[in-house]
Amino acid sequence: METSDVTASDAPSAVGTVRRDSAAGRLTLLSALRADAARNASLPPAAAEIGQDAPSSAVPADPLDEIGGSGAEDLKRMDGRAETYFFSDLYMTRAYASYLYRLAEKDLVGLVVETVREDSRLYPRPTPLDFFRGPPFTLAQDQLDDILTRIREREDCRDIRECRASNGARYLYSTLHLTVAHAEALTEWNEVGQAENP
Amino acid sequence: MSQIFGWTGKILRVDLSTGKTSIDDTMKYKDFIGGEGIGYKILWDEVPAGTHPYDPANKLILGAGPLCGSGVPCSGRTTIVSLLPTSPFHGPGSSHMGGYFSVEMKYAGWDAIVLEGKAPKPVWIRIEDNKVKIEDARWMWGKGIFDTMAMISSQMGKEAQVAAIGPAGENQLNMAVIRTGTSHSAGGHGGILGAKNVKAVAVKGTGSVKIAAEKAKVQELDKFMMSIIGANNQMVVPSHPQPWAEFNSPGSRWTGRPGLFWGAANPPVETGVCDPKDMQSVGFRTQKAVFDLGAGAEKYTVRMGGCAHCPIRCHSQLKVPQLEKYGMDPYVSNTCVGWSGPRGVMAAGGGIKEFDGNGADSSVVGNGIGTTMVDDLGVWCNYGQIGRDVKWFHEKGVFKRVLPAEEYASIPWDLLLKGDPRFLIDFYDRVAHKKGELWHIADGSAWIAQRWGLGDDYWDHKDNKLWTRGGYPVHHSNESAGQVGALISCFTNRDAQNHTHQNFIGSQLPIAIQKEIAGEIFGSPDALDPPQNYTRMNEFKARFVKWALVRGRLHDSLTLCNWMWPMAVSPLKERKYRGDTSLEAQFFSAVTGVTKTEAELDKDAERVVTLFRALTVRAMGTVDMRGKHDAMNKWIYTPDKKDGKEIPQFTKGTIQMEKDDLDKGLGMVYKQFGWDEKTGAPTKAGLEAIGLKDVADELGSKGLLPA
Ligand code: SF4
Repeated sequence: METSDVTASDAPSAVGTVRRDSAAGRLTLLSALRADAARNASLPPAAAEIGQDAPSSAVPADPLDEIGGSGAEDLKRMDGRAETYFFSDLYMTRAYASYLYRLAEKDLVGLVVETVREDSRLYPRPTPLDFFRGPPFTLAQDQLDDILTRIREREDCRDIRECRASNGARYLYSTLHLTVAHAEALTEWNEVGQAENP
Repeated sequence: MSQIFGWTGKILRVDLSTGKTSIDDTMKYKDFIGGEGIGYKILWDEVPAGTHPYDPANKLILGAGPLCGSGVPCSGRTTIVSLLPTSPFHGPGSSHMGGYFSVEMKYAGWDAIVLEGKAPKPVWIRIEDNKVKIEDARWMWGKGIFDTMAMISSQMGKEAQVAAIGPAGENQLNMAVIRTGTSHSAGGHGGILGAKNVKAVAVKGTGSVKIAAEKAKVQELDKFMMSIIGANNQMVVPSHPQPWAEFNSPGSRWTGRPGLFWGAANPPVETGVCDPKDMQSVGFRTQKAVFDLGAGAEKYTVRMGGCAHCPIRCHSQLKVPQLEKYGMDPYVSNTCVGWSGPRGVMAAGGGIKEFDGNGADSSVVGNGIGTTMVDDLGVWCNYGQIGRDVKWFHEKGVFKRVLPAEEYASIPWDLLLKGDPRFLIDFYDRVAHKKGELWHIADGSAWIAQRWGLGDDYWDHKDNKLWTRGGYPVHHSNESAGQVGALISCFTNRDAQNHTHQNFIGSQLPIAIQKEIAGEIFGSPDALDPPQNYTRMNEFKARFVKWALVRGRLHDSLTLCNWMWPMAVSPLKERKYRGDTSLEAQFFSAVTGVTKTEAELDKDAERVVTLFRALTVRAMGTVDMRGKHDAMNKWIYTPDKKDGKEIPQFTKGTIQMEKDDLDKGLGMVYKQFGWDEKTGAPTKAGLEAIGLKDVADELGSKGLLPA
């Protein structure tokens, strides 16, 4: 088997890493970029550089410098409580990045509430609870039950309501954008009516 | 003769009474485009008013359009035109099938096949390029469609494309199909083949469709089309969030995503990300098995199939080994109503439930049983009406009242009520073979209402979904953009089968974007209301209706798939989700060499719409289309109730229409077409202006022009 040593010149750039991660459907963590930079700085210099004035131990480059530079305008930053996230809007939409951000920040109440509000406003449509069980959320039913309990307890989530289709499917909607009657009718249509009228 | 592109230039006529065949010139029909347009022109010219659909004087036209066989995406559809047995006045109508039949027909050199007269004994028609033979079908008569296809293929080879009927068609059941391929059924005209003693038409061609434009031009158009195409029904956002997608919709047919497979493929195939910029994954976007049958169908999915020259592939092809237990082939395929139609019969018992030890897979197995039965016997569901009728007749005691006691007692109602789909085996056998009295359920609603003495409660019950007394049901009606879908449903003699508006509103894009695009096409965003939040009728909605009707006829004439076309929207953010509504005209011009603008081609299709209307006037023998044809059943404009209180129309959450508003809407649509606003019949001036002077003359001579 052929092997090759990784050298500093092979090391991925921070911008490239973010783009690659976005294309693969992942956010990039600043902490991960910094760890990469530190690892790269400790790598032996590339063969071509031997004999040149390479420092014996390099200072790791700050990925933020590279990301803030020109040619990286597609990279977007999202600051979390303890972590900073990046994505490239060439490969990932802001909407998708926002989903991943809330998941990463474990802000599951925010994830559900903001998604439901946005669906009720934009399309408009109520959001099936099952939506959060599928990718990229893959929340378990007990997690969802817990989130719903917390939503019910929060004063600032009073607009989030639940309704059921005649087949028992559960949906959420926001009264900021949908009336009760409208949400109930859309729920029934989306869940039952549509399938009967392909 | 100068070279013809797109069309083959020839129509095959088969006189079944004499056994003679002849060739007709397609180009004399070029003002009617092809497919459906040619079919209606032949009906107008050659089938006298008052002809019974099963009379030898009726004709059946299997038609293709100039784009069929050219490689234009989604151009593999066949349009069949004839009188409709289910119609109470035997009006004209078209039925459609996908697959590969029409493409093969074009390769054999024919734009259409016209079946005339009646064969003295059962026959099938063998077409190999310009060789046409009427063959003895005695060995096939009585057989199901699967065996029939196998018998013909064993003689002609597997390249032959077969359109065949089953026992339902042979027995002249009004609700019978003509089927091609494994799962492509044209509903409503199967009985006419049966009446003509034709079991099947099989065709094999070695030619090609000649294209006028340079290869590069067609490739460029093709590439552009592939860049703006979405998933099935031109849904342009995915069902689950994906990195590339700004929007999503759980109701989208763009189900392809990482982690979702064609699970029975060997090895299983992951549908994957399906980025809209990746043309190679277009065929993975629509994992239709899980959309139609639920998540449980994933592991049974071998692949997606579909029609010739279609990158979308909306027919699920499954391997369900459990079907062998019921004597059926484990391979089963269908799409949309091909599944839900037969399954709908089980609604009376609350749908398919766990049965016969099939556990959680009962639904997939049950769907397989239903679709295998109807696809083999060739029974049509009248867009799901058969299931709603079974439910109503069972619940209201109609069956008990009209079926002889012995027959009633012999029907396994217990299976129906238990949700055991083995009921379907018994049910469809009785229906297709016209056993007892029950089979009359397949006469169609208009006829059965007469025979079984069904009153206003049948027609006016909301869940029965019957649109007019013409006996056909909703098909993207008031639930689809309010008055737009509602009015579209009035200009037909069977379920409207019009996806033009449905593909537009079903794109699943946010309403603001949809309204912007509607504004660009119809002159105002008011052409489109948000879902279940309707406003009153306006001029722009009338334009939307006209556009949908015109494009529906255009697609069925070109022949393009109206379950994909037109390309009003796209999945591309950089195009602001706009598609291109001129693509049909661009492809038409490139393929045929006859340069037409979008407006000019729409005008040709408008001629087809108007001819269809004239045929309906002639068949009904009245100009009072508004009162006698377009009048909608009451449930459509009866307010819903909640807690005993009426929910007013045009408030959020109700799709109920208002009679005055619909009447006004009809007038506005008539005006759009230049028809008489009072009666809805085409006028002399309007007919002449659109190139139908001969039609005007004949209607005039019959007193069928509005005053
Ligand atoms: S979308 Fe479906 S029906 Fe239309 S051409 Fe493709 S496979 Fe056929």
